[in-house]
Amino acid sequence: MDVPSAATSAGFLANKSKFHLLGLTLDDCIRVFFGGNAVVSVVVLALITIFLFKEGFGFFGQNEGNLRVYRQAGLEYVDIIRAQQDDHTALTRYLSDLRVRQFKTMVGAGKLSPAAANQALAGFDDFAGRFGDAVGPIRGIVSDLTEAATAIKDKFINVENHKEERRQLLAAGKAAAAAAVVIDNVDFSAELKPLLATLPAYKEANAEFSRQLTAVLADAPVLPAAELQVRMERFKQLVREYLAGFPVVEQKLAAWDYTRPVPWYQAFTSFIFGREWLTASFWQDWYGVIPLFIGTLMVSAVALVLAVPLGVGAAIYVNQIATATEQRFIKPGIEFISAIPSVVLGFFGIAVLGQALRALSQVTWLAWVPGFPFSERLNILTAGCLLALIAVPTIFTLAEDALNNVPRSFKEASFALGASRLQTIIKIIVPASLSGIISAVLLGLGRVVGETMVVLLCAGNRIAIPDFTAGLAVITQPVHTMTGIIAQEMGEVVHGSIHYRALFVVGMVLFFLSLLINYLAQRVVRRYRISIG
Amino acid sequence: MVTASTLMETRSPAPNLRPTLPAAEAGRPAAPAAPAGQILIDIDHVDFFYGASQALHDINLKVEDKKVTAFIGPSGCGKSTLLRCLNRMNDLIDGTRVARGSIKIRGIDIHRRDVDVIELRKRVGMVFQKSNPFPKSIYENITYGLRLQGVSNKARLDEIVEKSLRGAALWDEVKDRLHASGLGLSGGQQQRLCIARAIAVEPEVILMDEPCSALDPIATAKVEELIHELKTRFTIVIVTHNMQQAARCSDKTAFFYMGRLIEYADTQTIFMNPGNPQTEAYVSGRFG
Ligand SMILES: Nc1ncnc2c1ncn2[C@@H]1O[C@H](COP(=O)(O)OP(=O)(O)OP(=O)(O)O)[C@@H](O)[C@H]1O
Ligand SMILES: [Mg+2]
Repeated sequence: MDVPSAATSAGFLANKSKFHLLGLTLDDCIRVFFGGNAVVSVVVLALITIFLFKEGFGFFGQNEGNLRVYRQAGLEYVDIIRAQQDDHTALTRYLSDLRVRQFKTMVGAGKLSPAAANQALAGFDDFAGRFGDAVGPIRGIVSDLTEAATAIKDKFINVENHKEERRQLLAAGKAAAAAAVVIDNVDFSAELKPLLATLPAYKEANAEFSRQLTAVLADAPVLPAAELQVRMERFKQLVREYLAGFPVVEQKLAAWDYTRPVPWYQAFTSFIFGREWLTASFWQDWYGVIPLFIGTLMVSAVALVLAVPLGVGAAIYVNQIATATEQRFIKPGIEFISAIPSVVLGFFGIAVLGQALRALSQVTWLAWVPGFPFSERLNILTAGCLLALIAVPTIFTLAEDALNNVPRSFKEASFALGASRLQTIIKIIVPASLSGIISAVLLGLGRVVGETMVVLLCAGNRIAIPDFTAGLAVITQPVHTMTGIIAQEMGEVVHGSIHYRALFVVGMVLFFLSLLINYLAQRVVRRYRISIG
Repeated sequence: MVTASTLMETRSPAPNLRPTLPAAEAGRPAAPAAPAGQILIDIDHVDFFYGASQALHDINLKVEDKKVTAFIGPSGCGKSTLLRCLNRMNDLIDGTRVARGSIKIRGIDIHRRDVDVIELRKRVGMVFQKSNPFPKSIYENITYGLRLQGVSNKARLDEIVEKSLRGAALWDEVKDRLHASGLGLSGGQQQRLCIARAIAVEPEVILMDEPCSALDPIATAKVEELIHELKTRFTIVIVTHNMQQAARCSDKTAFFYMGRLIEYADTQTIFMNPGNPQTEAYVSGRFG
C-alpha cells in the first residue's frame, strides 16, 4: 500500500478487513452461502435423477431374462392351454350368473318359495354341472404340465443361483471354492421333451371335451322368461365361438417353439403395455404397469372432477364476489387444508369417509346412481374424494392468483358496457385468466398424481384393471396406484432384484408424468398469457 | 400551492393558449349564440365520500344535451370521481357513497332504488384513461355490449361493427383484420376501438376520462376530431388535463378544485374571461 494514499483509504481498508472467514470477506461468504444452496439443490436433483435411471434401466435386462425363462421352461406353452381352461371358467361364471337371475325372477314374482325355486332349477343345475365338469381332463393336463414346467424353471433358477454363488466366490478370491460349485446347465430341449410329448394326449382330451360340450349344449334347458332366454341364446353363441377356437389352440401348441428368441423390445413393451402386475408368484411374475397407471389415472380423474369446480369456483367467489371479511376467512381456511398431513386424511378416509360413502350408497332411493350400492369401502371414489381435498388448495390458490392478474380495467370496461357481475365473470374475467386457471388445474393434477399416502390407504389396493364395462360404476371399484405400489412394496423387495428394479421403473413413469404435467402447465401459461399493454 | 403550479406548468403551455383559442373556435358557432341546450344531466348538491374521506363537496352542475362538457382541474380534485358518479361506476368500490344531493338524468334520479344500474350503464357509456380493449378480437370487442343485450343476428352485428368503427374513425385501418386481437392495435387505435365499443351500444352519454393522456399528438388529434363528430349524436363529458384540448373540443367547461366546483360556464368564457381568479390562474397556467 502506498504511504500517501493510505491516509485517504484507511477507512475503507479498516472496514474491509474486519470480517474474515477462511480467507473470504463477508461479501464472498454471502455469495458462497446463497450460491451453495442453489448448487446443492441442483446437484441433489441431478443425483436423484441419475439414481432413478441407473436402478430403473437394469430392469429391462432382467425382465428380458424373465421372459426368456418363461418361454424356455415351457411356461408359455402351458399358459396356452391354461387360457383355454380360463375361458371355460368364464363361461361357467356366466351360467351361475344366469342362475342367480332366474332364481331372483322366480322368487321375486312371489310365486315360489326359495326351496321350490331351487327345486325348479334342478334341471338347469344339472345342465350347468355337466357343462362345468366337462373341463376335467383338460384341467388335469394343465395341472400336470404346470408341475413339469415349474420343475424346469426351478432347475434353471437353481443353476443361476449356483452361477451367482461362484461369481461371488471368485470376486472374494476363493478360486478353489468357486471351482467346487457344480454347475450343470439346463438342457431345455431335453427337459421340454416330456412336456411337449403330451400334445397327442391333449388333442384327444380336447376332442372329447369338444364333443361333450356340444352334447351338453344340445340339451340346454329353455328358460321361462324371454329376457333370460335371450341370455341363454347368447351363452350358446359364446360356447360355439369358444369351440371354434379349439383348433387355433392346437395349432398354437404345435407351432410353439422354445428356441424362438424373445424380441428385445418385449422387455419394454411387456412393462409399458402389460396388463398384469403379478409378483412373488409361484408360476410367472409379470410387471405390467397398465393396471397401476389406470389406477392412478382413475383416482386422479375423480379427484379433478371434484376439485376443479370446487377450487376454481371458490377462487372466483373469493376474488370477484366475496366481501373483504369473507376473503379474510375463506382464503386461509382453504389454504389450511394443505396443512393437514396426508396420512391423517387417509386415516379419515378409512375411518369416516369410506364408511359414510358406503352407507350412503346403500340408501334405497339413491340406488339409481351408477355403482350404488357398493360394498368395498375403499375404492376409487373414496380415494378420489380425499385427493380432491388435497388438490383444492393448489387449484384455488393458483387460480385465484390468475384471476387477480386480470387487469381491473377489463372488469370496469365490461361493467361500463352494461354487463352484470355474472356476465363479467363468465365472459371477461374467466377467459382472460383461463391460461392461469388451466395451469392451476394441471399443477393440481401433478399434486394428485404424486400423492401417496391417501391412495395407499384408501384406494383399496387391488392390482387389476377396473372393469370398464360397468360404465360410471367403475369408480366404485378398488384399484392400486403407481405411488401406492412403490410405497407398499419397496420395503419388502430384495435389493437389486427384478421386482426392486420394476418399482424403480414405475418411479420413472411417475417422474416423467409429473415432468410432462409441469411442462404443459408452463407452456399453457406462456403461450396464452395475455399481453397487457 | 407551489407544487400544483409547477405541475400545471408542465402540462398546459399557458402562454400560447389564448392565441390558439379563436382559431379553435372558428370552426363552430360561438357557444352563447347557440340555443340554450336541454338539460340532460342534473347534478344537484352532491357530496361524495370514499369511506370517511369526502371527495366531492356540494357539486351543482347541469350537463346539456348533445354538447361536449369538459371537466378540468388539478390532479386529485375529483373530476374522475364525479364522472364515475354519472354511471355509478363508483359502486364497484367498497365504501363509496353519495351522501347528499342527487344526480338526475332526464329527470330520473340515478340513485333511486328502482333504477337498474345495468340499464343506466348501457345509456351512459364510458371511455377510460388507459385504453382497455378486452383480450378478444376487434369484432368481439365491439359486439360485446350488443351480445349482452341479446343481439345475436350476424348481419345486424356486422352492420353495427362497421358503423361503430366508422363512427370511431377506425374502420379503414382495421377492416381487414376484424378478427385479429384488439390488443394488437397501437395505443391510439386501441383507444378509438374503446370509443367504438362504447358507441356500439348507442348510449345517450359518453363519459371520457382523459381519453388522450396516453396518446401522441397525432392520435390525440384524431380522437378530438372524433369527439367533434360524435357530438351530433351523443352528449359527451370529457375529463382532460390538456387546456388546449378542453378549449378546442368542449362547449362548456367546469373547473374543479379540491373537490369543489369552482366555476362552470361556456368554454369561451372560462378561457377568455373567467369569473373566478382561481380559474383564471389555472387556465393560464399560473396556478397558486
Ligand atoms: N378508490 C379511492 N379510494 C379512496 N380515495 C380515492 C379513490 N379514488 C380517488 N380517491 C380520492 O378522491 C380524490 C379525487 O380523486 P379523483 O380520482 O377523482 O381525482 P382526479 O381529479 O380525477 O385526478 P387526476 O387528474 O389525477 O385523475 C383524491 O383525493 C383521491 O385521493
Ligand atoms: Mg382522474
